[in-house]
This record gives sequence, C-alpha cells and structure tokens, in this order.
Amino acid sequence: MKPGIEWIEWMKLALGVLAGAGLVWGLARAAGLPIQYNIRNVIVRWRSSVTTVLGIAAVVAVFVVLQAVARGIESSSGNTGDPRNVLVVRRGSQAESGSLVSREQFKTLGYMEEIARNAEGQPLISAEVVLIISVPRVDGTGEANTLLRGVTPRGLELRPQVRVVEGRWFVAGKREIVVAQRLARRFRGFELGGTVKAGPTLLTVVGHFDGQGSAFDSEAWMDADESRSIFDRDQYSSILLRPRNPASMQVLTNRIDTDKRLALRAEGEVAYYEKQTLTAQPIKVVAGLLGVAMSIGAIFAAMNTMYASVASRTREVGTLRVLGYSRKSVIACFLIEGACLSVAGGVVGCALARTTDGFSTGTIDFQSFAETVFQFRVTPDLMGKGLIFAVAIGLVGSLLPAVRAARIPVIAALKSV
Amino acid sequence: MTLATFILKNALRNVRRAALTISSVAVSTALMVSLMTLERELMVPPEAAGASLRIIARNKVSLMQPLPAKQLSAIQRIPGIVSVTPFTYFGGLYADEEFTSFAQFGVDPVPFQSIIVDARIVGGSYDEWVKNRTGCLVGQDTMKRYKLKVGDRMRFRGTFYPCDLDVRIDAVYQGTVDDRNIFFQHKLLDELTGDPGTVGTWYLRAESAEVADRVIQQVNDAFANTSAEVRAESERAFQMGFVSMWGNVSQLIRTVNLVVVFTLALVAVSTMSMAVRERFRELAVLKALGFQRRDLFGFILAEGFGLSVLGGALGIGGAWAFWTFSDIQGMTKGILLVFEVTPRIMGMAATVATVLGVFSSVGPAIAVGRMSVVQGLKTLD
Repeated sequence: MKPGIEWIEWMKLALGVLAGAGLVWGLARAAGLPIQYNIRNVIVRWRSSVTTVLGIAAVVAVFVVLQAVARGIESSSGNTGDPRNVLVVRRGSQAESGSLVSREQFKTLGYMEEIARNAEGQPLISAEVVLIISVPRVDGTGEANTLLRGVTPRGLELRPQVRVVEGRWFVAGKREIVVAQRLARRFRGFELGGTVKAGPTLLTVVGHFDGQGSAFDSEAWMDADESRSIFDRDQYSSILLRPRNPASMQVLTNRIDTDKRLALRAEGEVAYYEKQTLTAQPIKVVAGLLGVAMSIGAIFAAMNTMYASVASRTREVGTLRVLGYSRKSVIACFLIEGACLSVAGGVVGCALARTTDGFSTGTIDFQSFAETVFQFRVTPDLMGKGLIFAVAIGLVGSLLPAVRAARIPVIAALKSV
Repeated sequence: MTLATFILKNALRNVRRAALTISSVAVSTALMVSLMTLERELMVPPEAAGASLRIIARNKVSLMQPLPAKQLSAIQRIPGIVSVTPFTYFGGLYADEEFTSFAQFGVDPVPFQSIIVDARIVGGSYDEWVKNRTGCLVGQDTMKRYKLKVGDRMRFRGTFYPCDLDVRIDAVYQGTVDDRNIFFQHKLLDELTGDPGTVGTWYLRAESAEVADRVIQQVNDAFANTSAEVRAESERAFQMGFVSMWGNVSQLIRTVNLVVVFTLALVAVSTMSMAVRERFRELAVLKALGFQRRDLFGFILAEGFGLSVLGGALGIGGAWAFWTFSDIQGMTKGILLVFEVTPRIMGMAATVATVLGVFSSVGPAIAVGRMSVVQGLKTLD
C-alpha cells in the first residue's frame, strides 16, 4: 500500500470512530442520562468489565489477525507487476510454473512491432524460466520448495519494483543467483556468498534484492539461459513484454490471444498477479467461520455480564423509573454500557492485532507449489471492521438484558434487596 | 437435602446464567476440538498400512523437476525391489472446474498393482484397465462425489502438461488412505506429449522392512553425480515433506487455539465470581452455621467444575458428532479428507475444560475462605 493511500485509510478509520462515538453520545442524550453515569457503572464493576473487555478483545484480535494474513497474501500478489507490462503464458496453464513457451514463440513475439524499445533500441521483451528448487530451511525443519526465476537482461528493466539492496546482480552466463532478501532469511545457503545445490550444480548467491512487498519477494533470480542448461529445459515458461502504449497493448494482447499457431495467452502483468490469490481464499473462509464461532462464545459471555449487571441494579433501575425515566431510556442505558464494553474490547483487540503488522512468514502457494513469503497486513480498514464486529457483539449481548431491565415492574424493583 | 442436591440446586438457581455459561463453554470447546482436528488434518496425514515398504524417488532438485525414463532399468536391477512404476502427477482440471481437489497420476498399471496393496477393486475390473490404454482407475470417493459409474469418461484440462486427458473409467478402488485420486496409463501421457522420455517420480515397493532402508540408499547412490540426481524416501517421509510446506500454518492455528482457551477461561472465571458474589451473604450464613472452609470450597469447586465439565462434554460431543456425521469432503469441495476427531484430541479438550473448571473456582473460593462471617453478613448485593 502506498503511503498516501494508507494516510487516507487512517483518516477514514478516525472518522468512523468519531461517527460511532457521536452515535453513542446521541443515544445517551436521547436516554436523557448523563453518559458519565454509564461509564462509571462500567468502571465500578471493573472485574467483570475487564473480563468482558478481554473476551471481546481476544475475539476481535483473532478475527483481525486472520484477515490480515489473507490480506497479506493478497497484497503481495496484488502489489506485483507494472501496469504497462503484458505477461504471456501457454494457453490452458494456470500459472507461470506450469507454462511452456518455445524459443520459436519467443522469437515470433520479439518481432512484433507494438513492443516498446529501450534507449539502446532493443525490444523490451524477456523470456523467463520459472523453476522450483528444494532448499533446506534455516530452522532445520526440512526442505521447502522455492521459486527460481531465470530472467534475461530485459527482465530487470521491465521490473523497476525490484532492486538490489546487498551485493550485486548476477552476471549473465555465470552460475550466480540473486535472492529476495525476505526469502533469504528463511533458507539455508541463501546468505550472501552462500551456495545452493541444484542437481549436480552449485549456484552462488551474489546479491539480495528487495521486491517491495511484491510476489518477487518469494523468488530467487538467475540468468535465464544458464538456468535452461542447468535444469535441462528446452523451453521457457513465460514471456514478459512491454507494448509501446495502452492502445498497442490492446492490439498485441488480442493478436497473441487469437493466434491459433501460438496457442498462448496474454494478460496484463498486474491482472495476472491479482488472480494468483487462491491461497488466501481458504484463510478468509476460516477467518469468517472462526469469527462467527468465537463471537457466539463472546456474546454469551457479554450477556452473562450484562444480566448480572441488570440483576444487581434492580433497585437502581426502579429508582430511575420512579424518577420518570422511560423504559426506552433504561434500554438505551444498558445498550450504551454494552457498547462501551465492546468498544473498549475492540480497541484492545485491534491494538493487539496491530502489533503483528508487518510480521513476515511463509506458507505454500497452491498455484506455484513454492513457498510464498508474505507480511501480516493489519490495515486501518480491517481494524475498522474489527471495531464494528466488537460493537455488534456488545450490542447483541446487551440487548436481551436491557429489555429485561426495562420490563421489571417498578414496585417489585424497589422492593428487591 | 443431600450435599449433592444442594450443589445442584445452587448451580441451577440462575438457570439463565448456567445455560449461558454452559453454552459458551460448549461453543469454545467445540471450536478448540475443531481447530485441533484441523491442525491434525493438515500436519499428520493418515498413514497407510503399506506405506513403510513403499518408496518414492523424485528429482533431487525438486518434485517439479522430471526424471529421465531411462533410469527405470537401473532401478530394476537393485535387489530387494518388488516392483517399480513411473508415477507422474498430471495436475489437470476436471471437466470445467476451476479447481480440482483430487490428483491424477500416470502409472504403469502392471507393476502398480503390486504397489498399491491396500486398494481393493470395488467396481469394474483391473485387468480391463491394464488392457485399455485410454482407461483409468478411479477412487471411490471421487466416483461418489461426481456420481460417476464404470464406463463413464473423464476429461481433464492439462495445466502442467500442454495436453488434455480423456479417459474411460475401467475400475474403481477403495481402501487406501486417499480414495480420491485417479490413475491412468503413463503410455497415454507419453503419446500425448510426444514421448519426451521423462517421468515425474518413481514409485517402488521394497520386499521387506529390513531391506527398505538399503533400497533407498541404493536408489540414491545409483544416480549420484548424474544429470538427474535422485532423492528416494519412504512414502511417509515424502508425505511429511509435503506437510512441512505448510510452513507456519500450524503455529498460526495453535496461537488461535490458545486465544480460544483464554476466552474460555475468562468466561468460566467471570461466571464463578459472579455466582459467588451474588451469594456472599448466604455463604456467610453457612459459615456461621458451622460449615468449614473446605466445605464451602467444595461447594464452589463442585459447581464451577460441574458447569465447565458439562459445557465441555457438550462441546466435545457436539464437535465429534458434527465432524463425524457430516460430509466433510462435500463441504470443502474435497480439500479436507477425513477430519477425524481422535480420542486424543477429545481427551485434550476434556482436560482443558476440567482444569478450567477447577481454575475458575479457586479465586472465588479463596475470597470466600478469607471473608469474616460478620463482613459477609453485612454484604448487601
């Protein structure tokens, strides 16, 4: 996420919170009771208030963190690519790793006049090889697949997102690799100067690059033709190219898609990566299910607390009614207390969740079968969702107790001890 | 009135609260059981009976890197091997699906028969498949899920291979740990791809457990320092290699589970302290009547314990019944396979619920123990 956008998101969250606070204040005015009365009531019963707040906080934290995991996976692929680029893969393949493009196809595409040229007059087109190699993990828990991309020199020009932060780029024709910094931390041999065994060949790590939170952060790069010879591959996996302008992008995409002899599929690079989010789907489903299941428990707990609060204040409620406060005021009063508890819970939960923001971890990507590295993304909008979720728990949990409080007959209430 | 009825009456005095507590404990326990089952499903795949004798050899570079078909004769020469077949993952999409949860493997049907020893043929005939180059052997789960019958055709769009597969169902198997997969003849794949002379992996079976380790070693050594070095391992080790690819998912599930236990503890503790606070005066009266501290402690403990254990039992039983009798494969489109709630998982959840029951009563019980009778009798609440 770009800094500018993040700033706007934070503003939105702040506005949302203000609007919510305004709503509670309005409700309190409508009830005719000073809001301090409610807040003090919450504070005076601090033991049960704290347990309720913590319970809601835990639910919200789990909900927000799981969403942040899904968001992290999505944003690493959604944040990848240059809008000016077109990615070409074999028709029928779902991902680059399952695609095959021949040298002839590469040549044919290279002659297309819609392709932009760089300062030296060379067409901006790169044929790439996407391979999976098995590398031991740093923590000694076995090996995991990592994605190795063979790129041609134009491939670097086409991806301004990626830059070397340590060491240098590989030299074409040498058995050198450059590894994403974030990936390097997870695997043995990926440190600067380290070596990785690929079959009988040793590859030397000469640099680390930063993909700025993109899918390239889960990759290692080397020279394309060298990788084809090491891994005994006749064919490339995909082709990345840059058309001259948006109009020629359309023409080129159509031409490649409709050419029966090529049997290739062209797509905007950004659009291609945006679709590679299969892995995030089950996590989102689990986050939703867990959120619902945990909120049931939390609602019961909140109800328990609020019922106890109502029961111990029966006389107080009777007094309020005698003083002339309506049933509606009493309901509003307990709803506000529920809302206060849940907002506090939501804030604590979001704060807890926020501490995981940027936490880097990895899991298998179902499309490439390689480890994908991603960061937890606890964004303001997710925190906003978490707060709304918390308030919903609080309101649902306090509604029935509030109604019960309003229904108590005045005389009985005053008589109760 | 006996002590037991006294405790029971007390627990059910506030029926609403008891019900709320029991249900929130039940929901949380059910969630805990489900999460543990999910973790087990992902991390501990079911182990096949014949797995220890079965060996998978893949390219040392990675599973996605093919092996030369000419390695077959070198493997066959290794003593102690019953049979060996190519085993190639096709990775196709069934019919017009966007995601297919079962795998298709190209094998040589004759040696393959003596490798999947746990499979029983429950429909069609294996010999028919051996004869039919464009036939396939399908798992019972997949047959059921797609309502297929022997003789039907299955079409797969290739995502790894630049070709589509169109095969006829000749036989149906059942009894392996994963009855979803389908197997077709490797010859067909070779034909479709123009015979590149490669296979995905080798699948072999050793004669006995004693020779298995030696066979693995010999397969590895046979291709050391060749262009396609091999990594052979037992089927179980291979499976666990897949599991390790989940990365930190297991940690994530465990953390969530801890949070669930934490909320569970909060519910239990707050209920018990509420219950005791409400009855502070009453307990003081009991004390004044001569009941000992440990008697009061016992009353409270029994109540907290009873509520937690009842909630726990409901939650565990509910989760067990739900996952055992629901169609998990249908619900998850075939992604989750067994989702077995094991006795160990239920035992762990029961332990947590029991410990919580005790834990939730300790605080309030100590408060009651400490109070002086006078102070207790004065309490107005």
